Amino acid sequence: MDRRSFTFSALGAMAALPLGGRAMAASYPSRTIEMIVPYSAGGGTDLVARAFADIANESLPKAIGVVNRTGGGGAVGLTGIARARPNGYTIGLGTAEITMLPHMGMASFKATDFTAIAQLNADPSAITVKADAPWQTLEEFIAHAKENPGTVRIGNSGTGAIWHLAAEAFGKDVGATFNHIPFEGAAPAVTALLGGHIEAVSVSPAEVSNFVAAGELRMLGVMADERVAAFPEVETFKEQGIELSVGTWRGVLVPNGLPDDALAALREVAATAGQSEAFKAQLAKMNLNHAYLDADAFQAKIAAQDEFFGELMTELGMAR
Amino acid sequence: MFDFAMLAQGVATLAASPMALVMAAIGVVIGIFIGAMPGLTATMGVAILLPFTFGMDPLPGLLLICGVFFGGVYGGSVTAILLKIPGTPAAAATAMDGYALTEKGQASLALGTATVSSFLGGTGSVLVLIFLAPVLARFALNFSAPESFALAVFGLSIISSISGSSPVKGLIAGMLGLLVATIGLDPMGGFPRFTFGFPDLYEVPFIPVMIGLFAAAEAFKTMEDPARRLGQAARLGRLLPPWEKLRGVLPTIGRSTGLGVLMGMIPGAGADVAAFVSYNEAKRFSRNPENFGKGELSGVAACESGANACTGGALLTMLTLGIPGDAVTAIMLGALTLQGLQPGPLLFQQHADLVFTLFAGMVFCYVAMLILGLGLMRVMGNVLRVPTALLTPTILVLCMVGTYALNNSMFDVGVMLVAGVAGYFMQKYGFPASPVVLALIMGPMAEANFRRALSLSNGSLDFLWTRPITVALLALALLTLFLPLLRWLWQARRGGGSARHSA
Repeated sequence: MDRRSFTFSALGAMAALPLGGRAMAASYPSRTIEMIVPYSAGGGTDLVARAFADIANESLPKAIGVVNRTGGGGAVGLTGIARARPNGYTIGLGTAEITMLPHMGMASFKATDFTAIAQLNADPSAITVKADAPWQTLEEFIAHAKENPGTVRIGNSGTGAIWHLAAEAFGKDVGATFNHIPFEGAAPAVTALLGGHIEAVSVSPAEVSNFVAAGELRMLGVMADERVAAFPEVETFKEQGIELSVGTWRGVLVPNGLPDDALAALREVAATAGQSEAFKAQLAKMNLNHAYLDADAFQAKIAAQDEFFGELMTELGMAR
Repeated sequence: MFDFAMLAQGVATLAASPMALVMAAIGVVIGIFIGAMPGLTATMGVAILLPFTFGMDPLPGLLLICGVFFGGVYGGSVTAILLKIPGTPAAAATAMDGYALTEKGQASLALGTATVSSFLGGTGSVLVLIFLAPVLARFALNFSAPESFALAVFGLSIISSISGSSPVKGLIAGMLGLLVATIGLDPMGGFPRFTFGFPDLYEVPFIPVMIGLFAAAEAFKTMEDPARRLGQAARLGRLLPPWEKLRGVLPTIGRSTGLGVLMGMIPGAGADVAAFVSYNEAKRFSRNPENFGKGELSGVAACESGANACTGGALLTMLTLGIPGDAVTAIMLGALTLQGLQPGPLLFQQHADLVFTLFAGMVFCYVAMLILGLGLMRVMGNVLRVPTALLTPTILVLCMVGTYALNNSMFDVGVMLVAGVAGYFMQKYGFPASPVVLALIMGPMAEANFRRALSLSNGSLDFLWTRPITVALLALALLTLFLPLLRWLWQARRGGGSARHSA
């Protein structure tokens, strides 16, 4: 796709103008579809949503318009998706928080209130330390943490956020006690690590990639099933003998009870757009890990994660 | 050392790309407009325009965003001065003296000074960025939770200098702000406080409260007397402030620029903190501090140069370390990444040519802002000629639309209106609104960082006296808080209670 047409499709998506395109057989959609993004414009979730909408709009007779509905650490927008009228004209870009917020008593919805369309992106947690830290491997890091319980400080992006829970799950799994320090997002946590105010961070590889590439930070391992494409030399936790795979994901979600034709149409569009080269290229530019899952696999993942976080939070005393 | 050839090369490249220059100018215009609207912030403007830059070449795309950023910080001052509607939190500081000048019929002087101060502060900060970036690069890393806590306490102490005629009422207003700031998720544990089951209250609805306290309250007040017009203020005189006036505020601008750059570099502190701190220091160094709040020109100059100088500081940290100093640069970080430029230590080595062209473009953005700002002022100044009966409803509608646009939330509009009613009665009984805004900015920052510092030190309070920057800032806070009291006591002893013997 050339630059000009890309700009124009971006323009179209922003203004939620109907774009010309291949008409679909079914009557859905007959008007503009609103896609709720529970986080602010310009953030990672927003960029995924806009990239997806741009590409999906090429094959939709009526455009998807992205609407940011922020607040409550995502709770406001996610509630908006769960409680939307199930007619297919309000969809949302959901995140891993749908399996976490309900257990903390911070949301009126449950993970089971959503029907999956497709997962678009997933990023694991990674344990990253300063490049001049004494620990070369995850094993050395864990040994140090066990010898000095409570003194190893791991920065995360906020209490109850995915990277906090990843670090908690890590501590529980290896039997070490960490001092978890919440920051207002991943960037301040990484800043504190660079300044030597904490020992490690548990944020995603993308959020530390600049500094790892520049040789200022060292990634000890990623909590994923497979190695991350951007850092093929960093071993997974599983390769290092720790059965742990924790991370965030983003995908298209709708409220339960959508009509079959709308559900089928959305899944078809998501399958095409979500697996297109243009979408993959756009994610790669943003340092985000492309991880497409179809509706069934995605729904199963949500159920499994919901159970995992429910148990973890009960054990940590965070469940309410 | 610094490479002048690179900079010259950058200027040449920029001059040869008319597209980039046009985009920079368009960005500045959009930014001024967005900044002037209550509720629309520079952050939002940058976020909205980001997708448009995906298809552009790096230089025009990034300069468009820089233009919006710079224009947005400056634009907030226009409505703050003319209508006492701060378009941005930083402009809440400008409104204190800026609107007082408008009431005195000196709107053009205030606007002109604000524009020139913004230009000088912003350009100064970009020059710091160009020449001192490698030297200052690692400064932000010294700032950890204890330092941020101390900075926030210092910020809170400024309440004593923006309280106007009654320090007690100012402190009460500040306490009210602190109370409101406790609403939402507790910053460390994530427990909801005073949210009464509304997820909308998980984050302090700061900007709706500010719009309500200033703009809506002012609109309610004008309803008391619909025939009232700003009369004499409607005549805008010469736009460029006379040299003798400008010369008087130059030292203030210089000092505020330095402070602004510093605040910009510190993660978590932005243009709002810079504006209030600059105002406080301008008052501290002023020969006639009693004029502040009653239409003191250097008050306007301090806020505007401080807020705009923040841009260069925030960009410095973002470009050299890859660490965003505030919300706008966090989005710009994403924009750079999308263009295939990874901000951080490697950026200056791998893309030096583009970086220096970008620097030249930033200076151009500020020049464009000066010219466009002075030009647009004529048009915007006409706002004062609109009869109150038309202006007041328009302002209220703008307040509502702006607040709604923030989060697409009707709940926020309700919060704004409640704050407006509260602000109306506060004004009626002589309680200033700016301490509330200041407390809302600084309160959460102080609490989160104090508790984070405790957590970092495993519960020890030693950080309060073992870290030099923390100690210095806390001492400064005590001095700021008690200086007016000491001065008053001293005068009371010497002059038998008379304030005529002011130093």
